[in-house]
This record gives sequence, structure tokens and C-alpha cells, in this order.
Amino acid sequence: MVSVRALLALLVAVAVAPLVLAPFFLQLLTEIAIVGLFATAFNLLMGFGGMLSFGHAAYFALGAYAAALLSRRGGVPMLLALAVAPVVAGLGALLFGFFIVRLTHTYFAMLSLAFGQIVYTVIFKWKSLTGGDDGLLDVWPPPYLKSPMAYYYFVLAVVGLSLWALHAIVDSPFGYALRAVRENPRRARFIGVNVRRHQLLAFVISGAFSGVAGGLFAFYNGSVFPDFAFFTKSFEPLVVALLGGVHSFFGPLAGAFAFKVLEWLISRQWPVYWPLFLGGVVVLVVVVLPQGFVGLLGRWPWARPARQG
Amino acid sequence: MEALTGLFPWITNGPLITVQVMSGLSVGMFLFLVSVGMSLIFGVTRIINLAHGSFYMVGAYLMVTLVELLPEHTGSFWMALLLAPVGVALLGGAIELGLLRLIYHRDPLMQLILTFGLILVIGTLVLLAWGPDNKSVSRPDALAGSVRIFGQPFPSYYLLVLGLAPVVAITMWFIFYRTRWGMLIRAATVDREMLGALGVNVAALYTQVFVFGSWLAGLAGALAAPTVAVALGMDADVLTTAFVVVVIGGLGSFAGTFISALLVGLLQSFGILIFPAVSIVLLFALMAVVLIVRPWGLLGTPEP
Amino acid sequence: MGAAGAAGLVLQTVALRKHFGGVQAVNGVDLAVPPGDLRAIIGPNGAGKTTFFNLITGDIAHDSGAIYLGGEDVSGLPPHQLSRRGLGRTFQITSIFRRLSVLENVQTALLSHHRRHYNVLASARRLYRDEAMALLERVGLCAQAAKPSGIMSHGDQRRLEMAIALASAPRVLLLDEPTAGMAPRERHELMELVAAIAHATGLTVVFTEHDMDVVFATARRITVLHQGAVLAEGAPAEVRANREVQRVYLGQPAEGGH
Repeated sequence: MVSVRALLALLVAVAVAPLVLAPFFLQLLTEIAIVGLFATAFNLLMGFGGMLSFGHAAYFALGAYAAALLSRRGGVPMLLALAVAPVVAGLGALLFGFFIVRLTHTYFAMLSLAFGQIVYTVIFKWKSLTGGDDGLLDVWPPPYLKSPMAYYYFVLAVVGLSLWALHAIVDSPFGYALRAVRENPRRARFIGVNVRRHQLLAFVISGAFSGVAGGLFAFYNGSVFPDFAFFTKSFEPLVVALLGGVHSFFGPLAGAFAFKVLEWLISRQWPVYWPLFLGGVVVLVVVVLPQGFVGLLGRWPWARPARQG
Repeated sequence: MEALTGLFPWITNGPLITVQVMSGLSVGMFLFLVSVGMSLIFGVTRIINLAHGSFYMVGAYLMVTLVELLPEHTGSFWMALLLAPVGVALLGGAIELGLLRLIYHRDPLMQLILTFGLILVIGTLVLLAWGPDNKSVSRPDALAGSVRIFGQPFPSYYLLVLGLAPVVAITMWFIFYRTRWGMLIRAATVDREMLGALGVNVAALYTQVFVFGSWLAGLAGALAAPTVAVALGMDADVLTTAFVVVVIGGLGSFAGTFISALLVGLLQSFGILIFPAVSIVLLFALMAVVLIVRPWGLLGTPEP
Repeated sequence: MGAAGAAGLVLQTVALRKHFGGVQAVNGVDLAVPPGDLRAIIGPNGAGKTTFFNLITGDIAHDSGAIYLGGEDVSGLPPHQLSRRGLGRTFQITSIFRRLSVLENVQTALLSHHRRHYNVLASARRLYRDEAMALLERVGLCAQAAKPSGIMSHGDQRRLEMAIALASAPRVLLLDEPTAGMAPRERHELMELVAAIAHATGLTVVFTEHDMDVVFATARRITVLHQGAVLAEGAPAEVRANREVQRVYLGQPAEGGH
């Protein structure tokens, strides 16, 4: 049980990190956790459901805006606002997903992009509600969570619970059926699986957890902007998942770590080169490393394929 | 009717409608040039080239450089317009041969992801080569002014687009339906395996089509250069619009792309008058409706 | 014909028709399969057996006629509901969940059969494990349970698909060219397995097959399609002796059996 031990070590490391790390690195870790959740939620669709969404930023943004609006305009306490975030994102995913799962492959990706852009445009244009281009500012956690360390632990707890839930879903009968749908929809139908309904449920779950990530990010960032929903943001979980490997449950989490650390290293020195690097990585992964970088390090615990047998 | 004219005062304004139609058509013609290459490439290779907007941007930047480099002469604009797309075509060929060719046999999603990665790479390379400042290209003297249509000014340069796009469309139609190469392309959009079985060099055909599609993107970018600020970010703008046009018309359908480009052009032109705030939403909403009702687009063929 | 099919039949089609453009691919086929039958559907190329098969499985919508499963009209039902009503099938091109393990393939089918497939809370790993192993045992794949199914040999993948189909506890199992792409010896082994399972469980099996040796060795009854209609039906010996059948297969009036 090397993997369990490694996970425990990881847990201990992230738990004591605030005691030894400078505040900046604490923020980096917070971001890694949030992006890791976003990418893991995304990968429930991509890796386990075989569905490529090009519009997942929409659900991240729906969560972020729901939390920010409730807290700023509604005066709702943060915890309640954060609880509503996945509901709003999940409802959005239900509405759009209903249409999106009717399509397959490329068309699926394109319709998800179209709906994503609609969400972006609505946020951008609905100035009276969302503040439009100016975004919503002063979205801060209550005093007891305001310090970076407190918020870090809070994010860690929420992300940890979410990942646990997502892992349970992947490992559940639903998760098995979802992978069967990914592998072979025709066969799945003939063991009695309603393929579209499974895909829709996965879409909603994925959207809801993206909304959790969005809500957490809103309070971390202290503000929300329409860019959260823009299609380039949709590529973030994709790149992160690719980086870590889409066929393992913890791949996206490892990918988030690599992504954020590299972003920090490269953006600090050569901000101009960051997109070039990112694009280069995507091209490289697609052409020569379909298993992601983590796939190279197959013996690491988080690279272990999730229940591939 | 009164309520309508109250809401939309321009509705009784004949000249304004005419100019709006004209500008809608020229936008549409332009959109056709932008998107037909994307549609063509998809039709044959089944790859949605998300870097199409980047090719368009490179075309515009090459135009900037070529107009600067070429000796001051009345013909230099036209020379640049001729050369810039060729540069983009070469770029497209290199990418097809160097990268895409390696992954044709793989999951189509991977091809989509690869071309997305190219957006970032090309975007950064353009930034490194041309710098972050916006560029502009002046229109050739002959087309610098504007003409009057029903007393309303209409930029003469747009007449070039209005004229050139149909020429391209007709030429492409001729190539598709009257030449052997066009026949192969049409056959490839229907059944690629069969084409290979018949001894056609499908790999070479893919390269040629990709080069041609890139050339079209470059041409659109070069043509657009004098009408817009040549800037980073024009790749994403054009990608989303081209994407919508291609999807509405039907991926891989030549006629569908043409009709859809005109529709979208008019929709944009009038949408700005009617719903100034949400004209972009209109565009995506139209695309979403088409994808839901007819996922394969107006004139496309259903996914096998 | 009324809303219900004849009692006592597992699978029945009544005046089933389908045309493609001007071609009448299936032209009024009546098929009646009683419980426990081991029925082969054969016919020369273009006889319409593939289309007929696809009509029963709901892959293609028929123009007119009706399909009854255990007396219930199932025309136009989507595949997952057909499956729930007891129609199991295998595909002409092996259709399994390639990146799932052999065990998971069967487990997933069992989970779905027991309507647990929307459960997001339980851990599926141990659910129906023993039942899945029992099914694998039956098709002889126990030793390979942990393997990714996609790396098994073609013949073993065929067996796995059989186990997946059996996991749904079908009333009737449709096998579309079950031995396609197999070596002759493997073919007989597989069909003997099918016959043994059918015999042991009382399962009704309907299959199409190219290999006439396999057909005549396995089938209890044979239905011969020709030009979209039933040309003959009967026990193997009767069909073998049928002059019409010999004519369409051999292209000339036969001078007796062989």
C-alpha cells in the first residue's frame, strides 16, 4: 500500500505547509487546490465520460458569480453563498447539457463552446447585475477566514471533500456505467444504460463541482470578472488535465500542481513566453505523450490509473 | 406598425436599410472568405482547425510587414495582398506535415486539442515577431475614399471585398466541380477510406487541402488588415465568428458556408441596430439553435 | 393482428417491412420463436438478414409490421428499453468495453441489470463480483478476469461479449454473426458453448451465421430468408432437403441432397 502511504505523506505536507511557507506560496497552493478541483471535475467528463467540453469556464463562472452576487448584493454569508454556487452551476449545466449531450464528439465540443460564450456574453453585457466588464469587487471571506492561512485550510477542506466525493462517484456503479458509455455507447445501450441520461448526469455533476471551484476562487480572488467565463478560460482545465494525464483520477491534480508552479516560474521570468510554453506543452502532449507527463512517471501513486484493472 | 417604428426608427429609413444591407453583405462576403478554408479543411480531414483564426492573424501581420518592406509604389499593396496569403499557406503546410500528419489516426478530440495548442504558440510567436503594439495598413489610394449610395457614405474598400469574395467563391466552385482535384476533394468529404482504396494519395490530398485552406485564411487576414487595427487577439475574435459561420452552414459544405456567411453578416449588421447589446448573443444563440435542430448545419451532412 | 403477439412465443415479428429507396430489403417477414429455441437465420448475401436483424434490435426503424417480445409490442423502443425487456445481443463486430477489465465489463452489465447504475454513493468494486465471476466461469474467462479486456484474443473477446449479454438475463439472445473472424475450430467451440448455455438455462437464442457447417451443427431450427422474405423454415434436415433452398444457394435446381 505504497500509494496510501504516499497520499498520507501528501496530506501531512499540505497540512503543515502554512507553518513553513511564505504567504506567497500559500496562495500558490490555494490556487493549485482550486484549479485542481476544477480540472478534476472537468476530467470526470473528459477522462471518464469521453466528453470534451470547450465551455466549462461557464460553470466555473456561474459558481463564482452566484457566490459573489449572493455575498455582495444579497448580504448572504459566505458559507451559504458557497453552498448555492454548485447549485446554480449545476442548474446551468442541466439546462445546457440537456442539449449538448444530444450531440457527439466534435459537435458536442462545439455546442458546449457556444453555450459557454453565451454565458460569457450575458455576464459581460448584463451590467446592472454583474457589473459587466468592471466585474464585482470586494468579495471577501468573513474575518475569521480572511487570513491567507485560514482561507488556505478552508479551501483545502472543501477541495478535499469535493475530491473525495468525485472519487466516490468514479468508483460507484454510476462511474462504472459512465466509463462503459465512454468505451462503447452502443454496447452500453444494450446492457440497458440510457446513454444520454448518464452523460447528462455526469455533465451536471461536473458542472456543479466546477461551480464549487468557481465559488472558492471568487472569495480567494476578492473579485469576479467576465473573463472567468471566456472560452480561453475553458482551456485551462483541459491543459491541466492533459498535463497530468486524463486517464487517472489524480492526474488533473498533479497537473494543476505542475501547471501553477510552471506558470509561476515562467510568468515571473518571461511572462511573454508563458502562452508559448503552454501551447508547446499541449502540442507536445498530444503528439508524443498521450498519457500526460504523469504517465511518464507511471510509478508515482497519483499516476495509478483509477480502476483500470 | 407604429410601435415598431417607435422601437426601430430606422425601419422606415430606406437608404439606411440599403446601406445596412450593403454592409451586411460585405461583412458576409468577408466572413465567407474567413470561414470557407476552415470548412474545407474539416470536410476533407475531419479536423476543426482552431488555429484558423491564428492563420488569419498571421496573414494580417504579414500584410503589414510586406506593405512596409515593398518599395513605395502604387502596386505594392497589391503585391503584398498576393504574397501574404502565400506565406500563411507555407505555414499551414509546415504545420500539416510536421504535426497534424502524426495524429490523423488518433482520437479526433486530440486533433482539436492540438490545434488549440497552436493558437497559443502562434499567438506568442506573433507577439515576439511584431511586438505588442497595434499596427495598421493604409488602403490603396484608389480605394481610400468612400462612395455614396442613396446619399449615404459607403467605404470604397468594402467594394473590393464585395467583389473579390464572389470571385473566390466562383473559382472554388469551378475547382470543386470542374477539375479532377476538386472531384477528389468532394469524394474525400464523402468517403475517405474508399478514396484510399482507389489508390489516391490521401495524405498528399490532406496536405494540399490544408495548404489551400490556410491560404484562404491568410487572404482574409490580408484583406482585413486595412479595415481593422491589426492586433493580437484578432485570432480569437475571428475564430469564434468563423466557427459560428461554419457550424451554421454545415461543416464541410461549400454552399452552406456561403449562405451562412451572408446570413450571419446580415444578422450582425441588423442585429447591431435592433439589439445593440446582445448582437453577439444572437450569433451564438443562432448557432446553438442550429446545432440542436440540425447538428450537421444547414447544408452539411450528418455525422456518420 | 391485435396489440399483443401470440402467447407462448418469446420473439415474434409480424409482416415486418423495410425498404431503402426502391429496394424492399425486408418484405413482410413473419417469424415466431418459441421459448428454448436455438434458431439460425440464414440466407444468401442480400437476402435481407442483416436488415431484419437490425430491425429486431431497433438499430433501424421498420416501415410497417410489428415486433413482439414475450407477447408485448416493442416496436420503436430505444435499445436500452429493449434490453430491459429481455432482448440481449452481441454485435457482428465485437463490442465490449475495451479499456475496462474483463471483470468490470461483466460487473457493469450486472449493475445495470439490477438497476444500480444511477447509484453514485456505493463502491462498485465488490458489487456483483461473484455473479460476474460465475458468468466468466461459464464462458471460460475466469483466469483473465483482471486483464484489460481490449488486449485479449479475438475469440476471448467474443466470449466476453457473450458474458456481457448474458449478464442482463435476457429472454432471447440475438447473436449477429457470432463466429465472424474466428478460426473454424474456435467457431465450433463457441457455438457448442452457446448451445450448452441455452440447453442449461432454457435461454432462447437467435443467430445469423455465414458458416453453414456451424449452422447445421448448432441450430434447432433454421429460417431461410431470400429477397427479403421467408423462403423456408424447419429443422436442419428439412431445410437441407428443401429444393427451393438448394436452388437459391446453388443457383440451380438441385438433383437431391448431398
